[in-house]
Amino acid sequence: MILPKFDYKKGEDVASAIALYEGSKGRARYLAGGTDLIPLVKLRLSTPGAVIDLKGIEPLKAVSRKGGSLIIGANVTLFELKTHDLVREYFPALYESLDATSCETLQMRGTIGGNILQNTRCLLYNKSLDWRTARGFCYKMGGETCNVVPYAVACFSNYCSDNALSLISLKAGVKLAGPQGERKIKLEKLFSGDGRDPFMLKPGEILTEVHVPLKRSTGAYEKLRVRNAIDYPLLGVAVSIQDGKGRVCVGGIGPAPKAYDLKDLSASALKEVAKQARHEARPVSNTTLSPGYRKKMTQVLTERAVKRAMKEGK
Amino acid sequence: MKTIKVSFRVNDEPVAFQVRPYETLLETLRERLDLIGGKEACGMGACGACTVIVDGIPLRSCLVLTPEVNGASITTIEGLGKDGNLHPLQESFMEKGAVQCGFCTSGMIMTAKALLDRNKRPSKKEVVKTMSSNICRCTGYKKIIEAVLDAASKETSKA
Repeated sequence: MILPKFDYKKGEDVASAIALYEGSKGRARYLAGGTDLIPLVKLRLSTPGAVIDLKGIEPLKAVSRKGGSLIIGANVTLFELKTHDLVREYFPALYESLDATSCETLQMRGTIGGNILQNTRCLLYNKSLDWRTARGFCYKMGGETCNVVPYAVACFSNYCSDNALSLISLKAGVKLAGPQGERKIKLEKLFSGDGRDPFMLKPGEILTEVHVPLKRSTGAYEKLRVRNAIDYPLLGVAVSIQDGKGRVCVGGIGPAPKAYDLKDLSASALKEVAKQARHEARPVSNTTLSPGYRKKMTQVLTERAVKRAMKEGK
Repeated sequence: MKTIKVSFRVNDEPVAFQVRPYETLLETLRERLDLIGGKEACGMGACGACTVIVDGIPLRSCLVLTPEVNGASITTIEGLGKDGNLHPLQESFMEKGAVQCGFCTSGMIMTAKALLDRNKRPSKKEVVKTMSSNICRCTGYKKIIEAVLDAASKETSKA
């Protein structure tokens, strides 16, 4: 597939990348690993005037410990993070979700920042321009309707990052830098809940760092997909348990992940959370698996993940 | 749109071009250098038929813009054999019948080479995991896994 015309610019540091964005009249996109952006551009789902390459920014490639947190630069690839000693030792849920992301070759290219900020997906959205024109544009393409749910007022596209789920279960935060300065927010506050524009990002903002509180945890990640490699999750459940309390995060259904607290590690608390997750899941028929099956599997995978996380803790 | 000057090494030979900013590495390799071992199948980074090794890391060249690899060192399937001899992986793929139509093979071999470069003696499980990065639509994967394990055992017995 041939790419449309755009310009290529390279950011030497965060400030110069933001300056390049400001000079682009809002028509530029940031490029890190490119495993999400380039396919979107090939399908003409994104038509930037220029891409700003962030890969050369060295400070964003480091993993360091500071003030009780593990600070992960946004340019660290998923494979580098997966093979980092501290991740395996402290954050098993994150290790499992990194391992479950796509395949090894793409893990070596894709970055953690890009993985968190990947666009939401839909069976009727990630298609060629001809296909989409024949069907008629939906909300996410700038149209006036949803092609999956007739008369819907919202977009139901799915957020398909594996690692955002485990990071939310670990109470992670993200640092953003933009034309108006830096800010730090909790990862779950990054999501707008609207599939058309899934992130609460201001124009020109770059995700620079992910902060994870450095506290030993037990955890697990369960992923539902058709093939055991390369596929995006059709449902993902991450669980992390710290100090006898757990946090569950369910994603892959709808534009924002949902987090639940596990009061204690009793069987009744587990049942309650799994039932609640199933009750609140709103899958629609925009993936290769049926919505009914995905809804049922929400409960199954939540129970499975929590049980596995508890067993590891013993 | 202005072209961009890039220079990098391909199979140990330096090359330099003025490329379009939206040109992919796969296009550059195939159309400017005539290195047609890497194939475009899905064009979306899912299948792995376009895999080449850039600075020791296997990459989907259909997802990489040529300006991104400025200054890098690239190995393609054409650069594997030395002095008219095939690379052990290529020999093993032939011996074990791991090739049918051959469209995925160059990508498979490049992914396998990157694995053997960082892990001389991988277990079967590790090979299966790494090779699941690539898709083959004809032979199935059993013979491909066997071929990679065979090449690994031959290499280590030689050393």
